[in-house]
Amino acid sequence: MEGNVTEAASAASSVEEIQLNVARIMIQEFKLEDVTPENFDVEIDLVDEMGIDSMDMATLALVLQDEYKITIREDDYPNLGTVRLIAQYILSRLG
Amino acid sequence: MSAAKSPAPKVVYMNPTGTSGQKMSFAEILKVPRVRERWEKIRRYFFLRESTYDMTNRCNIRCEGCYYYQGDKQFAEESADPEAWSLLFRREKERGITYVVLAGAEPALVPESLQVCYDEISLGSIATNGIKHIPESVGYKIHVSVWGNDETSKKIRGAGDMLIRQMDNYKGDLRAVWVYTFTPGNLEEAYEVVETLAQHDCRVTFNMFSSPVGYNGPLRHTRESRAEARRIMLALMQSYSGHVLFTPYSAVIHTHDLGLHDLFSCPYPRMNPSEAIGLGRSFRQYRTNLQWDRNAACCVPDTDCPDCRHYASGSAVVTARMYRHASDPTVFRSWLDYVDNYLAVWVRDYEKGENLCHDLVEPPPPAN
Repeated sequence: MEGNVTEAASAASSVEEIQLNVARIMIQEFKLEDVTPENFDVEIDLVDEMGIDSMDMATLALVLQDEYKITIREDDYPNLGTVRLIAQYILSRLG
Repeated sequence: MSAAKSPAPKVVYMNPTGTSGQKMSFAEILKVPRVRERWEKIRRYFFLRESTYDMTNRCNIRCEGCYYYQGDKQFAEESADPEAWSLLFRREKERGITYVVLAGAEPALVPESLQVCYDEISLGSIATNGIKHIPESVGYKIHVSVWGNDETSKKIRGAGDMLIRQMDNYKGDLRAVWVYTFTPGNLEEAYEVVETLAQHDCRVTFNMFSSPVGYNGPLRHTRESRAEARRIMLALMQSYSGHVLFTPYSAVIHTHDLGLHDLFSCPYPRMNPSEAIGLGRSFRQYRTNLQWDRNAACCVPDTDCPDCRHYASGSAVVTARMYRHASDPTVFRSWLDYVDNYLAVWVRDYEKGENLCHDLVEPPPPAN
């Protein structure tokens, strides 16, 4: 599974591809059921609707940092409220 | 007692501010099986969302430096209506609160209110002086406060035979953890108190007196008293490892020259204006009138923030800064120990594992 994620990360070049990869990581890390990367709602509010809290967000940030070899600032967590926003943030850091 | 003359620890902490100096990715850090295992153990509790509640404004003793009787919260009208409390906790549960801290003044005086809370939210803890027994049907952790030996307690708290009465109430009670608060005046007494507690198979953790706003009395710590407290904490951890719930990193953090806020930027609402995520979003500190004030909301209201080294604060403040601890394997192990210990102190039936790090690790600077 980790191998697949890494390959996906290295190939990621668009917001859509990063979104898919972030969704895949979230499903894996948070053991989400009944959802796939393809049908993950990228607009769902991770805090209000999914119940993600600060410790989950810190965990996700650490995994994404490893995945994309970027730095995700603690101060930026509040701006990462959806998968779409996370993907846009990653893309901006990669750029 | 003989333990008052306990020798310094036999094990020398080799590296007083040691880190591995290595930078690693999070995935690499987690490749070590026992680190991964501990990480998986503690992360199961990331669902905890706490708030705190003053259950009564009455107390059966009056302690010097008590933070409850500072500020205006002590003057809030007390709700004695179990239905009102029950409604509050139902709403808190709906709001996503999964962990309650029931505190001041003395919650043991209102057992009915404690019970209605427990009936709604089953995880939590009660801060008590231990003089009055709390019924077993209230299945929270019970933190019994100790401020020195009985002679000192008599002087500071105006109550005699406190340790004996506390043990009569809670010896053998799996809910109970004694919390020894170090002050400049009771440092050496910790040896005899901890020995007594260990002899009676009671578990104990450590707290540092943290001055209320405006307090400049004799209980306020100095650099010297903090250093001595650290030395004694480490000695007691080694002498009574089966009964003392603490870690080397806890000793460093809570006796550091900098308080918790300056070390880690306290995330409680009182010091954190952001309502986006975490404690700044969900934490509330309810007064006895069932109201709360964002500007005063933290786990030890009216404590002087620069002097705050309180054990309750640390459990949230240090834990919340996982990110900063997760690039150096030694620092991360220290953080895991800290969280594992705090869960053992605060969550019923959670058992602490052996510390993964025995060095005294300096807390990391902000990561960005």
